[in-house]
Amino acid sequence: MRRGRVDSALARINVRAASLLVPRSGRANWTAEWTAELHHLCHAAGDDLAGSPDSDLVQFSLGAYPDAFWICCHHLRSDGLARLGSGSALRCGLFLVAGVLAALLICLAESGARDALLPPPYRDSGDLVLISSDGYNGTQKPSTAFADYEEWTNDTANLFTQIAFYRPAVKGIHIAHYDDARLVVAQASDNLLQLLGLHVAGAAASAAKGEPRLLLSHSVWSALYQSNPGIVGQSVDIDGRTVAIAGILPDADWRLPGRIDAVLLESPSDLAALSTRARGFVIARIRKSAFPPPHGGWRKMVEARYGVEYAFDCISVAHLLGQPSIVFLFALLLACLALPATTAIPLGDYPRRHDHLPAAVNARRWGFLFVKFALVIILVDLCSTALAYGLYAHNPVNAIYVQIVAAFPGLLFGFRWTLQDQRRRCPECLRRLSNPARVGQASCNFLSWNGTELFCMRGHGLLHIPELPTSWFSTQRWLCLDPSWRGLFAESCAPSPGAV
Amino acid sequence: MLAMPADAKLSHTAAMILQAIHAGQIYGFSVMQMTGLPSGTVYPAMRRLERDGLIASKWEQQSIADAEQRPPRKYYRLTRTGRATLEAAYERYPLLEKMIPSPEAERA
Repeated sequence: MRRGRVDSALARINVRAASLLVPRSGRANWTAEWTAELHHLCHAAGDDLAGSPDSDLVQFSLGAYPDAFWICCHHLRSDGLARLGSGSALRCGLFLVAGVLAALLICLAESGARDALLPPPYRDSGDLVLISSDGYNGTQKPSTAFADYEEWTNDTANLFTQIAFYRPAVKGIHIAHYDDARLVVAQASDNLLQLLGLHVAGAAASAAKGEPRLLLSHSVWSALYQSNPGIVGQSVDIDGRTVAIAGILPDADWRLPGRIDAVLLESPSDLAALSTRARGFVIARIRKSAFPPPHGGWRKMVEARYGVEYAFDCISVAHLLGQPSIVFLFALLLACLALPATTAIPLGDYPRRHDHLPAAVNARRWGFLFVKFALVIILVDLCSTALAYGLYAHNPVNAIYVQIVAAFPGLLFGFRWTLQDQRRRCPECLRRLSNPARVGQASCNFLSWNGTELFCMRGHGLLHIPELPTSWFSTQRWLCLDPSWRGLFAESCAPSPGAV
Repeated sequence: MLAMPADAKLSHTAAMILQAIHAGQIYGFSVMQMTGLPSGTVYPAMRRLERDGLIASKWEQQSIADAEQRPPRKYYRLTRTGRATLEAAYERYPLLEKMIPSPEAERA
């Protein structure tokens, strides 16, 4: 008896749980049918059904799940197609999301665009600064003399915790007999990796040999050595010098100015062989106490040496690598300023009566508008980044110009489209209005209303757009229709009048 | 509701359920008992048959249910298309009538 009660309760719980899969419109009917069948089974169980295998209430109730699942799938298929009909808000949103995903895939496929989107790979990149001669900040051109670097190494302990130097130069590398290649090798001080916070496997182990350590970029390793892992630890000749290949540097890890194929880490004594006039890049990690916040951005420094003042620029590496975002934000600002000059901003007059446009409907309408704006911004950002950094992956200066030229018109036209699309949608179901009808002619009825009427196919209302804006009818106006009109419209029998 | 052509091919399960309803088993549970199929097969199959217009459902009158002190049950009957489809299915499944004899066959 007690087991029967437990089974009955479990069976009812199963039916209740399965009913959650059934669309709300048919849920009560479905639950009533299963409850009635369960009731019949419970009361018949004492008679002739007791011995049958299907008399188990719980087993019977488990059939409610496939039944509810079938109804759910059937509803999604039929209702989903209706919701994705021409002009629906869902279709518009899916179209934009598909565009964003496609642009994202393009960005991920392009190494330059991918690097521009990803955060800097360096440890505490906000504390890293690139020091350059006055007027050369942020350029790809080496501007700091090696003599200056040596001077700063001794004199700037109060400003920087670490300081490193590198100088890209074309060098010949001997790969095999009669097989040489010309590579851009960055001759660097041996603390460069430590300063950047990069960990390259094997780089530390080969340090003990005392030879300069060579880090090949992944693309060069693949092209020259066919991705042979056995090459690490071997010695090669670079311009007659024997160096040890210490590891492979992932391409994405080199985001500093200057395109390079390999990094040659040299001890201070080896590096001292460079000419004092040789120009390169200087990277330093700031001492926070010496640099008042904000640490990022650009600042000018003046150094007095032997009574002569030298000016240098310090630019944060995070700021340098974040330029795609800054450029895009600038283009966004320009587009926002230019928008009112190119199109009307108001969305039209809508009735404020709560019985016509409830707060939830209004919130959904505004939500849809903001989602469209957000998706347009993301789409243009990804497309402009893919275009700029796909074309000029190793030339950030050109990439910045391309990005701003691509992003500004993209944003402006995107915003215009967003506003125009929003104006042509029913505020209740958010579907595109259709069947435009021209009413009156300005030349015939000057003082009467003339313009274009559009209506919602679900009978929610009419949109009046004046042909000549007047003081009494300056902008488009939405006229709500009460539900008694719905019978006249083609799609008025749609299941959910408020559905998006 | 979609109408299914009378000569459309039914699965054996669907044909058994149609035959059970034709034989007078008008509730889902009684169809289960007659065919031996589990509830997870019978009810979705009946939804499909109803969607295709082969069977129609109706709720029992509330007064009848009240008199017997139970909730009203939903019962099913064959439509004209369903009957024609079942007739066509006999050719494909000759044993169907013998497995679940209809009232006409029993009388004969």
